Amino acid sequence: MEIPRHVHLADLGRRTVNPMIFWGVITVVLSVVLILIINASGIQSEVYLLFLVPVIAYLVTMGFFVGYVTKLNRERNLLLADQIREEATKSAEFKKLNQELETYAKQLFDKDFELTLANKRLQNLEQAKSKFVSVTTHQLRTPLSAIKWTFHMLLKGDLGPTTKDQHNFIEKGYESTQRMIAIINDLLNVDYMEADRSDYNFLPVDLPALIESILFEFTNQAESKAITLKCIKPPGPPPKVSADPIKLSMVVENLIDNAMKYTPRGGQVTVSIGDARINSVGSSLEVIVSDTGIGIPPHERDKIFHRFFRGSNATKVQTDGTGLGLFISRDIVEKHGGAIWFESGEKTGTQFHFTIPVNRNNLSN
Amino acid sequence: MENDSSKKTILIVEDDEFLRSLTAKRLEKENYHIEVAVDGENAISVIETIHPSLILLDLLLPGKDGFEVLKKIRSTDATKAIPVIIFSNLGQKEDIEKAKALGVDDFLIKANFTLDDVVGKIKKLI
Repeated sequence: MEIPRHVHLADLGRRTVNPMIFWGVITVVLSVVLILIINASGIQSEVYLLFLVPVIAYLVTMGFFVGYVTKLNRERNLLLADQIREEATKSAEFKKLNQELETYAKQLFDKDFELTLANKRLQNLEQAKSKFVSVTTHQLRTPLSAIKWTFHMLLKGDLGPTTKDQHNFIEKGYESTQRMIAIINDLLNVDYMEADRSDYNFLPVDLPALIESILFEFTNQAESKAITLKCIKPPGPPPKVSADPIKLSMVVENLIDNAMKYTPRGGQVTVSIGDARINSVGSSLEVIVSDTGIGIPPHERDKIFHRFFRGSNATKVQTDGTGLGLFISRDIVEKHGGAIWFESGEKTGTQFHFTIPVNRNNLSN
Repeated sequence: MENDSSKKTILIVEDDEFLRSLTAKRLEKENYHIEVAVDGENAISVIETIHPSLILLDLLLPGKDGFEVLKKIRSTDATKAIPVIIFSNLGQKEDIEKAKALGVDDFLIKANFTLDDVVGKIKKLI
């Protein structure tokens, strides 16, 4: 509401005619009227003076009285005007504060709007990135499949005989393609993991059976590198674990793949499945993947699960690898409620351990 | 591709010409009779006329995609018992689950398998 900044002091007094003049005029007019009445009625002048003096005196007294009351009123009005002016000043200050507040609120709103927009943009960017990664990886996989199959058919002699030299080169080509596919799969998995789209589908899983089927896939690779691949199982069938079989397979594949990659020819890779162990959280199975490989340098041991990390000695012996395998594996094991760790001696080999909780419904099995 | 009634027929549904020919070449070596389709509509009409013993089905196809073809196969009485292997470079969890829900027999990601592996998977089914 608009409040006047200045109130004129005389404003309240000026509304009426000056009472002194008013009463003066009234007195004169009434006196004249009275004189005229008395004259007309023929009363003697001494007698009408006797009436006239008190009447005039009364009227003059009244005039002064009314004038005094008016003066008091004026003073009161002045005081009121002062108060009003004070209130007006306060109100102006209040208005100013209010305006400032409104400005700040508006700024805050603008900032909030900007942030919401920025956040939305980031989300869109994130979606675009995910889409880009998955489309790209898919597009890359198709020509790679063609190369891989061609090399494989050449290697198997499906497309006619090759010389020993040719065969060796084709083998290199095939291995390179395999690495490239592994890298693409890793990238796709990381993107998948970060986007948190991966709802885990927990089922009772027979861990020894799962590990054996994965080991079987590595037989050819082990033979070609003259690596002894062993599996040590507990004497009796262990209880089933609660796991997403596809995800858990990725962990096992990753650890065996690393062990194979960094173990020199003639070495040994062993996967042992331990008995169910009961700890504070419940019962779980432990798996150990050990190799006789190059080990992890002591100063790099705290970085081993970091994204894109690759051991300095690893990059010397093996040119491929994204440094994502262990990063992904740890994420998967942790999402299962298990733990992953390792022991390593440089040149004596590495043992990776991980635990997966036992399916509670299958404890009695 | 001569038609020999003693041979089992495999239908390859694949839009990439080179992948299609490599797959066909490898499977013919196993003494299968090979039929090919290059898109979804084409696949459905071939399936209805020849009733193959097994279908290798890509997912990303021009027009009707592999999921639609699979749905059609499983909802038609004459074809619903035919084994179907999805053979695609798609392979995210959602895709695999969607295909399983539609009744696929196996799901192979092309880049992760060799054609020998595919032969092994086919022999398990027929």
